[in-house]
Amino acid sequence: MLWKVIYGEQMKLRRSPVWLAFFILPVLPAFMGTFNYLQNIEILKDGWYSLWTQHTLFTCYFFLPATIAVYCSYLFRLEHTNHNWNCVMTLPVSTLHLYLAKLIMASAMVIMTQLWVGVLFILSGKMSGLSGPVPPELTEWLVYGAIGGIVICGIQLSISLIIRSFAVPVGIAMAGGVLGIGALSKGVGAFYPYTLLSLGMRANSPGGSMACSQVQFMAGSLFYLIISAVVAILWLSNTDVTTE
Amino acid sequence: MKGILLEFYKIRRRKVWVIILALLGVQCLWGLWAFRNMDAKKLSQGYMQCLYHFSVLNTIMMPMIAAITASKICDLEHKGQTFKLLMTVMPAGALFDAKFICASLHMVAVGAAQMIFIIVLGKAAGFTEPFPPGFLLYYFVITILVTVVILAIQQVFSLMFSNQMIPFVIGITGSFAGLFSLFLPRSMQRGILWSYYGVLTPVRMNWDSQTKIADLQYIPVDWSSFWLLMGLFAVIYFTGRRCFTRKER
Repeated sequence: MLWKVIYGEQMKLRRSPVWLAFFILPVLPAFMGTFNYLQNIEILKDGWYSLWTQHTLFTCYFFLPATIAVYCSYLFRLEHTNHNWNCVMTLPVSTLHLYLAKLIMASAMVIMTQLWVGVLFILSGKMSGLSGPVPPELTEWLVYGAIGGIVICGIQLSISLIIRSFAVPVGIAMAGGVLGIGALSKGVGAFYPYTLLSLGMRANSPGGSMACSQVQFMAGSLFYLIISAVVAILWLSNTDVTTE
Repeated sequence: MKGILLEFYKIRRRKVWVIILALLGVQCLWGLWAFRNMDAKKLSQGYMQCLYHFSVLNTIMMPMIAAITASKICDLEHKGQTFKLLMTVMPAGALFDAKFICASLHMVAVGAAQMIFIIVLGKAAGFTEPFPPGFLLYYFVITILVTVVILAIQQVFSLMFSNQMIPFVIGITGSFAGLFSLFLPRSMQRGILWSYYGVLTPVRMNWDSQTKIADLQYIPVDWSSFWLLMGLFAVIYFTGRRCFTRKER
């Protein structure tokens, strides 16, 4: 049944330009970050690692969480409008599958974005004439970044399910990202969902290890994914739908 | 006037101010965090520090506040499919103007709240820098002007597309470009609307690469950038208004 629901989600998103946001967003830091790196090459001496910071720092803190929030708001807007909840809730589909299908769709977009970030990073490095091989940690940065992104997807989907407004969840994600800097500086990034992305991608310390242990990172990610799924399923199971 | 009052009437239970207030609260928290342990030198440049930090913070957050406000005020017409009905009682241009003024008044409130916060912070933290009413007023005006121009572009897209994802992606991308451009040469900054919080800021940082000391100083108004911004506003507003009035519902 889950595959059928995922197929349904795919049909809803067909011909929708939602993927464009995730395509454009990483291009901007790749272009401007590389330009900035080349302008300050005498200060930024760590080669590929300095370039990675330029590409990912602001993206992870503020803009990727907000873009994920926009995508999640869009996924639920389809249900919130045109009385579609009445139709969805009478289908013989479990609430778990309804939530999981949306989470899988959003996660697939995050994974593709991470791959695109990786491709742009390698291209930018080569075009900037960086000597030396591509950092072997790149795959790890991208994988952990994808996990952090999926956690934000889970949280934002739950928020977009409960709050029917398109804009408010985006504002929450933006605020979450900004407050995340405080959480990171206090060393509690692993316990705060919006910092898991920047922690995983090593946005401000690509050369070293993660600011928390891998166990803490995975435990934090799993905790927030489970919490968001439980909240969404309980909400879908116990709250009467409101249609517009 | 009636159109503007009607806009406020329509959003009276939509709690537009809640998310604006929450984002403003985040800005203030950032301010409190950034200025928690100030030494004598920082206190002697207290207001300059505030204006400089808040200009950067505005580049990140104000475009999103403008995007959210525009979306909340315009999306209700898409959801209710009320454009056709409204066009029978008022001209499309008047509706566009009313929505813009209503949203702009929210931005003025945000700017005023920020100003009050800076003044209160200055008194509470004991800034030793003499109180600069002229520069604070200039900062207030510039913050509102830049936000209102961004609001205009957001409103155009929020009205033109029922899919609110499009204006938000434009807002996020613009904000991102604005933040990045703060590290780029000034000539490039002037080409990006979202970077004008930095372009027109009344404070500049002087970085001495030899002593590695950063110092702040007030700078005169960059009138050429100011008039460029006004020109951009006229183009965005009147082109957007024309597109909206000519669109078939």
